[in-house]
Amino acid sequence: MATTALTPTSETYRRSWVIEWLTTVDHKKIGILYIVNSFAFFFAAGILALLVRSELAVPGLQFLDERTYNQAFTMHGTIMIFLFVVPVLSGFANYIVPLQIGAPDMAFPRINALSFWFLPLGGLLIFSGYLFGGAAAEGWTLYTPLSGGKFSTGVGTDLWLIGLLLVGTASILGSINFIATIFKMRAPGMTLFRMPILVWTVLVTATLILLATPVLAAGMIALFIDRNYGGSFFDPNTGGNPILWQHLFWFFGHPEVYIVILPAMGVVSEILPVFTRRPLFGYRAFVHATIAIGLLSFSVWAHHMFTTGQVFMPFFSFMTALIAVPTGVKMFNWLATLWRGSIILATPMLFALGFLSMFLIGGISGVMLSAPPIDFHLQDTYFVVAHLHYVFFGGSVFGVFAATYYWFPKMTGRRLNEPLGKVHFWMHFIGFNLAFFPQHILGIQGMPRRVADYSPDAGWTLLNLMSTAGAVLIAASVLPFLVNVVATFINGERVGDDPWEGNTLEWATSSPPPAHNFDKLPPIRSERPVFDLRHRHDAERVSVAKVEDQ
Amino acid sequence: MTVQVPTSMSADTTTHTALAHREAGMPTPLVGMLLFIASEVMFFGGLFASYFNARAVHIGEWGPPAGAPELEIFPIALPITIILVASSFTMQFGVWAIRRGDQRAMRNWTLLTLVLGVTFLIGQIYDYTQLGFGISDGAFGTVFYTLTGFHGAHVFGGAVGLTILAARASQGQFSKQNHVAVEAISIYWHFVDVVWIALFSTLYFLR
Amino acid sequence: MSRPMARPRTRSFLRAGALLALVLLATACGMVPPEPHTTEAKEVFWLYNVILVMGGIVFVAVEGFIVYSVLRYRRRDDRLPTQIHGNNLVELIWTAIPTVIVLILFVLSTLTLNSVSQASTHPGVTIEVEGKQWSWVFHYLDDDGDPSNDVIVQGTALDGAVMAVPVGEPVKLILISNDVIHSFYVPAFLVKRDVVPLPEAKKPNELEFTVTEKGTYSGQCAEFCGDLHARMTFSVQAMARPDFDAWTAAIRAGETPAPSVPAGGGVLKVSAKNTAFDTKALEAAAGQPFKIEFTNDDSFDHNVGIWNGSEELFRGEIFSGPATKTYDVSGLPAGDYTFVCDVHPAMTGTLTVK
Ligand code: HEA
Ligand code: HEA
Ligand code: CUA
Ligand SMILES: [Cu+2]
Repeated sequence: MATTALTPTSETYRRSWVIEWLTTVDHKKIGILYIVNSFAFFFAAGILALLVRSELAVPGLQFLDERTYNQAFTMHGTIMIFLFVVPVLSGFANYIVPLQIGAPDMAFPRINALSFWFLPLGGLLIFSGYLFGGAAAEGWTLYTPLSGGKFSTGVGTDLWLIGLLLVGTASILGSINFIATIFKMRAPGMTLFRMPILVWTVLVTATLILLATPVLAAGMIALFIDRNYGGSFFDPNTGGNPILWQHLFWFFGHPEVYIVILPAMGVVSEILPVFTRRPLFGYRAFVHATIAIGLLSFSVWAHHMFTTGQVFMPFFSFMTALIAVPTGVKMFNWLATLWRGSIILATPMLFALGFLSMFLIGGISGVMLSAPPIDFHLQDTYFVVAHLHYVFFGGSVFGVFAATYYWFPKMTGRRLNEPLGKVHFWMHFIGFNLAFFPQHILGIQGMPRRVADYSPDAGWTLLNLMSTAGAVLIAASVLPFLVNVVATFINGERVGDDPWEGNTLEWATSSPPPAHNFDKLPPIRSERPVFDLRHRHDAERVSVAKVEDQ
Repeated sequence: MTVQVPTSMSADTTTHTALAHREAGMPTPLVGMLLFIASEVMFFGGLFASYFNARAVHIGEWGPPAGAPELEIFPIALPITIILVASSFTMQFGVWAIRRGDQRAMRNWTLLTLVLGVTFLIGQIYDYTQLGFGISDGAFGTVFYTLTGFHGAHVFGGAVGLTILAARASQGQFSKQNHVAVEAISIYWHFVDVVWIALFSTLYFLR
Repeated sequence: MSRPMARPRTRSFLRAGALLALVLLATACGMVPPEPHTTEAKEVFWLYNVILVMGGIVFVAVEGFIVYSVLRYRRRDDRLPTQIHGNNLVELIWTAIPTVIVLILFVLSTLTLNSVSQASTHPGVTIEVEGKQWSWVFHYLDDDGDPSNDVIVQGTALDGAVMAVPVGEPVKLILISNDVIHSFYVPAFLVKRDVVPLPEAKKPNELEFTVTEKGTYSGQCAEFCGDLHARMTFSVQAMARPDFDAWTAAIRAGETPAPSVPAGGGVLKVSAKNTAFDTKALEAAAGQPFKIEFTNDDSFDHNVGIWNGSEELFRGEIFSGPATKTYDVSGLPAGDYTFVCDVHPAMTGTLTVK
């Protein structure tokens, strides 16, 4: 197949690379900084997860005492969510979105750099609790009054709040940047309904961040005032209401879960068409479904609060279950894209398929939880832990790995080694299911979450042991991945500009792209401009079912 | 949201440079400011929600804690409200001036706005010293100081912006065509004003 | 880069699939909740199983489709498959299907919700349940207006409290807390309800159930509530009415099958100076909560923790002095314990509980 990329000709301007990376305002470099930083936090939070799992492997306290255990899962959850999945997806979006819409950079490059540098700072602040008498230990949800000044006296909780305020500010700034970029920087011809799905999902995600995060910020500031200045937002003894925190937290917290899943869905929707050589089935329906999920996500938050007895359950239960409809539309669009496609099981595709199957399980367990009588039994048990890992890990993180394998050649010009990638995938996939599937059963049998220990008489030992073994397997699978990344970076197979025969504009420039991204753009007449360019001569053979304008 | 996006570009244009991004419609910094304000609306929304929640679970009369005097709109609260509202008008006169290309007038209006804004802040701080209750005195004290305090911080931020505008105007950096910063700061200033009106009516009248 | 798929690959794929199916079958049994033991739980159990089956069908259909497509439509050559962009009819259909499922689910779950949350006018017993860090107190409310002879059962972090209830009668719980949020959870009843320290203006949460079978059911706090959350256990003993009456009478008479609570235990005084406690021996009464008034005269951190062998039962807040704090310790069973400063494990003494 002849190369279709329009190779740019100009050279990049060079500086000392350390300074270059520290001061860069180039969206591609910032994207890579985001990704590398996020993976560092992933390993840190993963090690905490291993501590949690090894403590739970058998009954009795072996390695950790209760307080250390509580700090471990709190930090694990917090770091995984706020410093791994959210930023790593922002990182890919940073790198890819401007390329996919044919822009030279983000709308506000300096703000882009600023929002990145807040992240390591915020993350270190959150972690620094360990140095000052103990990290926060109230769960990632930091429920009041437990997190109030009376019951959590350490500064760990204050550091958690300050760190997260920084991270939150960063993501608000980042989302403003994404929205402005997508609205103002698209190349001519790139109409809204020709934008790649990833761009759409990032647009909706950024809107969710923009509208949800400030509410959490308000809540965290209120909590900070309660803790340090004698405020009484959440203290029932002085006229506050602890349930208010849950409302503020989950008003943010639920959109948050779509913030981490939508871009991953975007990634999968980029990968499936390339590795099946089909257009995404039902592009428009997919876009509408994404918008619908975004809208619905603001009306379901109290499904985390059924057991508080303080919310109107039928409404929230209904809205929650309703999200299965647009999500189902997406799922079926993906299935139809696979159907009679020309499927090639390269590593990015494996991870994308892993996403489909694992997210499916997480979605179904979510719908089960949306029925209040069932939630009364399952809330705060390991069933919820299983649900959240199936969507976060089986969903978002599989998406992240798919994206890593898919765009690595774009970022470096070299493709990750395929056999090693497959080893990584299978270890990961099996380890994941071994670690988290048994947790459904544990939850149904009544094992509460956030416990450092359980009774040997409860009959939970075998399943916990399996789960721990799975966690170890996941950890081991990180090894081939790291080896692969490092070895490929140093001496990997050079594969040219468009190794996968991609559809979207990022494949129309060199790998890695020049600082200004493009010298030339192909004409944009559909959501697959590079595909159109590649097949401009055999248009007759291609039966185009529908060519939609605008 | 009033972001307007031109979507009806001809489908057949092929550019040879990616740098030609769209200049039509609203300038990018203004889009950024509007988005920022959307997030600010949600932030204050969260604080207002806390206010109404505290009110809803309160037993007895809602207001300053026992022993402290009632909240009065005189001599401070109403006058500074009028001052802040007036400053929105002076700001807008400044915007109109620069749209006509009159940089001097714009600078003077900006300076007047700044003076009004600072007067508001001084008035508010003085008011704090007269209230007779603090942030740790029960739910009302907490929500009162948190809401007005964060609003005050926003006024302060706006005042910094106004100072920069005035300084840049003195150096002749704005023109009829080129004054996005003025438009952006003015939107922000109006927003801060609107928040105050909402706050003032909630705290002082909605009892 | 696109090699046609090799046959053996398919076979190993199928084999993996069969294995997976087996594992799924085995786990499906585990996916059924514990046998329900209240009238309400029986309804929830039924609802759960219906939804599990619905979810299972969705799973098998979608997953089966994925696996089939992957096996069947592997790339064989460079030809481009038909480019299908969409089809309004099928898209409409597959929007409708989940909508219908969701509606059914919603109606079923709301009906069950209404039925299980119905309150009876004359519960057989009403118990005020207090959750606190980290134990449960069960206070049986009676109508005699005399609180001095009320039946109160107090547990500890070591020894969960026992709640006796009569079988076949509605039991009403009033859930209160004065510290943080806890949650009353009995897996065999398939229900939990949060125990929330609410502001005065709000009524405390209530929970009602009717136990159908005699037996002992273990329960546990299900809302994370701090250090010893994992130890906040209790159990429910369902017995026939006469046995229940005998049980309450026995507690009233002071023949304690479960420890009852006298008003306020003693206050133990300890102080720390130059990284040493001022005493080596403390004493407390068995099963009774007590207080430790701890004075730290050093300018750095100390606390008092109570250990039983290698297990820490109580950990006082760590603070630096000079300052005094009072710790509330829930009752301990009789025996010898060590008290230790958790910052300086060399600072120890013996706590005798009798
Ligand atoms: C990426 C993150 C993510 C995603 C996408 C979701 C998606 C969903 N979640 Fe989940 N959820 C979490 C992350 C996420 N969740 C986390 C982290 C928690 C715990 C927080 C904590 O307490 O720490 C949680 C907890 C949680 C609860 C509260 C549990 C409790 O604490 O009591 C509930 C209850 O309703 C719920 C429901 C749902 C539903 C209905 C969806 C739906 O969006 C799922 C929709 C998808 C599908 C259904 C699959 C595809 C659809 C089809 C194939 C169509 C046909 C299917 C049907 C009609 C069933 N989630
Ligand atoms: C994206 C989110 C995400 C991800 C990816 C994970 C990943 C994992 N999680 Fe996490 N988890 C959460 C989000 C996530 N989790 C949240 C939100 C909670 C709730 C917290 C709360 O209750 O407050 C939770 C809670 C939670 C619990 C429940 C704790 C409790 O309730 O008591 C458990 C227990 O098994 C667990 C386990 C794991 C495991 C084993 C992994 C593994 O998959 C991790 C795999 C990664 C690794 C193992 C890292 C590998 C690294 C190395 C081997 C070192 C290499 C190092 C260098 C090169 C420097 N998690
Ligand atoms: Cu009480 Cu957990
Ligand atoms: Cu949710």
